[in-house]
Amino acid sequence: MIALALLSGVMLSSALMVVRSLNLVHSVLWLAVTLISTAGIFVILGAPFLAGIQLMLYTGGIITLMLFGVMLTGKQTGIEIPNTSDGQLAGAGAALAFLAPTLYAIWSVDDFGPALGPVDAKVLGTAFLGPHLIAFEALSVLLLAAMIGAIVLVRRKDP
Amino acid sequence: MSPVVHALVIGIPLVTFLMGGAAVATWWERRFAGRMQTRFGPNRVGPAGLLQPVADALKMMQKEDIVPRDADRTLFNLAPLFPPFLVIASAAVIPFAATVGTDGAFEATGAVAALDIGILWVMSLAGLMVFPVWIAGWAANNKYTLLSGMRMVAQGISYEIPMIMTAMVPVIFAGSLSLSDIVAYQDANGWNALSLSPSALVGAVAALVFFLASLAEANRIPFDIPEAESELIAGVMVEYTGIKFGIFMLAEYLHTIVASALTAVLFFGGPSGPGPEFLGIAWMLGKTGALFVLIYWIRWSLYRLRSDQLMDLCWRVLVPLSLFLVMAAAVLVAGGFA
Repeated sequence: MIALALLSGVMLSSALMVVRSLNLVHSVLWLAVTLISTAGIFVILGAPFLAGIQLMLYTGGIITLMLFGVMLTGKQTGIEIPNTSDGQLAGAGAALAFLAPTLYAIWSVDDFGPALGPVDAKVLGTAFLGPHLIAFEALSVLLLAAMIGAIVLVRRKDP
Repeated sequence: MSPVVHALVIGIPLVTFLMGGAAVATWWERRFAGRMQTRFGPNRVGPAGLLQPVADALKMMQKEDIVPRDADRTLFNLAPLFPPFLVIASAAVIPFAATVGTDGAFEATGAVAALDIGILWVMSLAGLMVFPVWIAGWAANNKYTLLSGMRMVAQGISYEIPMIMTAMVPVIFAGSLSLSDIVAYQDANGWNALSLSPSALVGAVAALVFFLASLAEANRIPFDIPEAESELIAGVMVEYTGIKFGIFMLAEYLHTIVASALTAVLFFGGPSGPGPEFLGIAWMLGKTGALFVLIYWIRWSLYRLRSDQLMDLCWRVLVPLSLFLVMAAAVLVAGGFA
């Protein structure tokens, strides 16, 4: 419980730093801290496989790609990209408006039912390739479509 | 034993061994390179120059610590802390010894934390390794370090793919992500890369791809583009002085040791081998040592690839090949050949 509180604290404060930091690279690195602490929470909740995947894909993959994005668009052209956003108060208000019903929903449930047991690779694999096969494949097609879309968007006009 | 006591009892000797091994490796590598190039290498400090690493460490600790004026001070100072930490943490799941289990069967032990997701743990930490290096390159605010950091990230995320894919081949054979189970499977059915069963063919190619990819992850020649000294001075380490530079160097040697140990465990049976189980630790040390020597043999024999050749090799050869190997392994297991 203490570990969960600590990790949640790290996660929330680093998430706040992601949006508050004035330096774009610092924002990305704070996001990495957020994602790593999410992996820690997965471990505490008995899903070490998910934690490993979280580290590998999100922290190892996505953040690296973000760094690439920052580097490719940043200093190269000599344009400083401001890392501020307008309407911070309104944004905070919207976040709170979302948080309140979420908290209410969580607190109004007395019993979450029995835990499903440890979420290991075998359970997940059987679920994905068994009952949820169609949803799983549909997601893959969606990602593929997004990827092709990105290629089409950046393609030179006359190949 | 409680997990904490267990971790301390095994972890302290392991960290001592890794650190000591890395220190000796700095001396050994220079002697070895000297021998290959018909010169002596360090041979003055202590018997056969064995105290050279101590002298080097003392020298580096005494040097002035300089942070460039335009550097990002916090990140610049933070970056060197992570590489040794990540490498040693990934060594925690590697089984270094063997024993006879309660049911009389072979059992691989000696891991600080025998996680069920062993291989996943190693791979995810290896994936994080690009960060401290990139941060170091960016924070130093020097064009050479930044170029080196970018090359590091590009190389890291590219070679991660064949590395993870080929690491899945032993996982598919053994049906488990745990490194102990992978070793136990190899003890019963022959080493993944070296046995008479048809699966060894797939295993051997996978071992080669994995070995190449871990060379790239550890920045060893022919894949040391990020610190190509003829182009980039010393890569991300250009602006680092004294012991911070030393820590980066230490992490490189640690990384090479752990990469050798991991290849030994995944494809060459790790602590499994002929003879009684208590020899397991000797087998493990021998195999790790042999692969370690091979890495430095390659390092002092070959030239460095160019950046685009490196990417070509990865995306046009290793990635398709590793995808094919994963499928071949699955077919072998499904067909009952492995």
